[in-house]
Amino acid sequence: MKKAEMIAGIVLLLLSGLVIFSALQMPPSTSFGPGAGFLPLWLGVLLAVLATILFVSAWRSQAKVQDGESVFPGKQALFAITLVLVGLAVYILLIDVLGYVVDTFLFIMFLVKVVEREPWSLTLKLAVVATAGLFIVFHTLLGITLPSNMFGF
Amino acid sequence: MLNLFDNIVMGFQVATSWENILFCFIGVLIGTLIGVLPGIGPTTGIAILIPVTFGMSGTTAIITLAGIYYGAMYGGSTTSILINLPGESASVMTMLDGYQMAKKGRPGPALGMAALASFIAGTFAIVMLTLIAPPLASYAVSFGPPEYFALTFMGLTLVSTLGGDKPLKAYISAILGLLVACVGIDAISGVARFTFDSMYLLDGVGFIGMAIGLFAVSEILVNIEEPIKQVFSDAKLGLRSLFPNIQDWKDSFGALWRGSLLGFFIGTLPGSGATLCSFIAYAVEKKVSKHPEKFGTGAIEGVAAPEGANNAAAGGAMVPLLTLGIPSGGATAVMLGALMIHGLRPGPMLFSTNPDFVWGLIASMYIGNVFLVILNMPLVGIWVQLLKVPYKVLMPLILTIAATGIFATDNNIFDMWVMFFFGMVGYVMRKLDFPAAPMVLALVIGRLVEMSLRQSLTISHGSISIFFTRPISSVLIAIAMISLFSPLLRRLWGRYRASRVTA
Repeated sequence: MKKAEMIAGIVLLLLSGLVIFSALQMPPSTSFGPGAGFLPLWLGVLLAVLATILFVSAWRSQAKVQDGESVFPGKQALFAITLVLVGLAVYILLIDVLGYVVDTFLFIMFLVKVVEREPWSLTLKLAVVATAGLFIVFHTLLGITLPSNMFGF
Repeated sequence: MLNLFDNIVMGFQVATSWENILFCFIGVLIGTLIGVLPGIGPTTGIAILIPVTFGMSGTTAIITLAGIYYGAMYGGSTTSILINLPGESASVMTMLDGYQMAKKGRPGPALGMAALASFIAGTFAIVMLTLIAPPLASYAVSFGPPEYFALTFMGLTLVSTLGGDKPLKAYISAILGLLVACVGIDAISGVARFTFDSMYLLDGVGFIGMAIGLFAVSEILVNIEEPIKQVFSDAKLGLRSLFPNIQDWKDSFGALWRGSLLGFFIGTLPGSGATLCSFIAYAVEKKVSKHPEKFGTGAIEGVAAPEGANNAAAGGAMVPLLTLGIPSGGATAVMLGALMIHGLRPGPMLFSTNPDFVWGLIASMYIGNVFLVILNMPLVGIWVQLLKVPYKVLMPLILTIAATGIFATDNNIFDMWVMFFFGMVGYVMRKLDFPAAPMVLALVIGRLVEMSLRQSLTISHGSISIFFTRPISSVLIAIAMISLFSPLLRRLWGRYRASRVTA
């Protein structure tokens, strides 16, 4: 945690620098009243102060035994999480191309079969039922135009 | 008084239309379900279901979402008692004595007391809401920008200090939320801020995408990392076994009214939340008890107090939400976002501009609590069966419902990327112990914070004394300052005490 908090402090400090820099580009306050950059500037300054406190207190804290371990999970869990995130990104990227129905069907299959390593029977059942259910609720009942592919579904 | 009566009658007329009754029922049903299932909490549940409510009228939509919120408070106790696993965080305290009662062969009375305490305290809180909200709203009508700034400032500091034991990280989370709220075109000057030349960001960051990412997606990622263990309960639960006996009622009487009062009043404070209320109620009960040693070994008061408190808190949380437009925590922040999407501007004017909505919602809560006691007493066996639904079935469902709902919000794929981004941010925040609630709260009320701050300073020609010279705002700022520096004061006090002991 100690190392992670120090890194978080540095990242937040960099972020606050970016915020302050862009806030200074915004129209400044006038005699009429505070301008667009007023709040972002002060938020940036506050963030810089708090990030420094976070960094310094993490730095000064006694390293504990468990600090040797990362707060992030082991390889296997990290792999599963990456799979879900990559899957979700691909799902969002392809939704316009494949259309909602096909894309969602494939995404659920991916989640159940690849991420959770369930048998094919459960995978197919779940993918069919969930896709149909979602399509009925959002398209039929709520009347939302879902993305469709070149064949119109 | 007559006016109040008229309003309640009108509320029940709204709430008893077949549509509102149906969706109130669906809301509390889903709420109970979400409460029962570990791995999905009320905030996530409300966030992913907001888009489903778009086809409804604003009143029906919020009746449904509020039902999910207080319904989850009922459902959470079931798993706490039967399998020692809280369905949601407000039921953690119920585990201590509830599970012990179940182990000693009395799961029935524990479940029954949890449901009945929830009903009694929940109804009490709605009565209090009915009585307190209208005068508070008419008082708050006179609030100007300085009062609003002070109020939102207090809300943000309280949610940060009350929400956990990491105030520094909560402040950072709140500031990041305020910065996200700054993204888009500035409403006063028309300048684009932090948009990185993307036209999608001109309107600001989508609230639903952010809330679902921070709560739902990150929750899924954490659950994938540490799979939820599945535990089954084979408790036989006949309806008759659920009723607590006379001795149980005698033991719980004090706990019930103390839990109700504490839950409601602490619940009205911005930032408190149902979880905190249940912790405090349990601690108080243990303190005033004549036999505190019984707590943790299956004392029925230990079930009645936290369960009463978390339901009373759910009612109490509606007070600042409806009268001031200030949410008290993550779940109500998400509900506030839903209100705005439905074109209802929460705040003191809501009572005069949309009385049918306000009173319809309040009346529906009376009805919803009756539904809940029916759902949770005779049908508790069904909910126990539901625990057999494995998380591997739930996970793809939650993720696809969330993604579809976000798309449906604006027919916009960009919002799905917002969800994706904040899903990763939320995961890292969870891992590093940064609470997400202050961030979402800050995004929801961010525009109000900024507008009221800049308007106040325009009125005062740039002098911040305007916040300290007006009575209401100075009191609110004082509370905010005390809570802001309370972690520091506590640490100094601890050092002082330690130095006294050694000397």
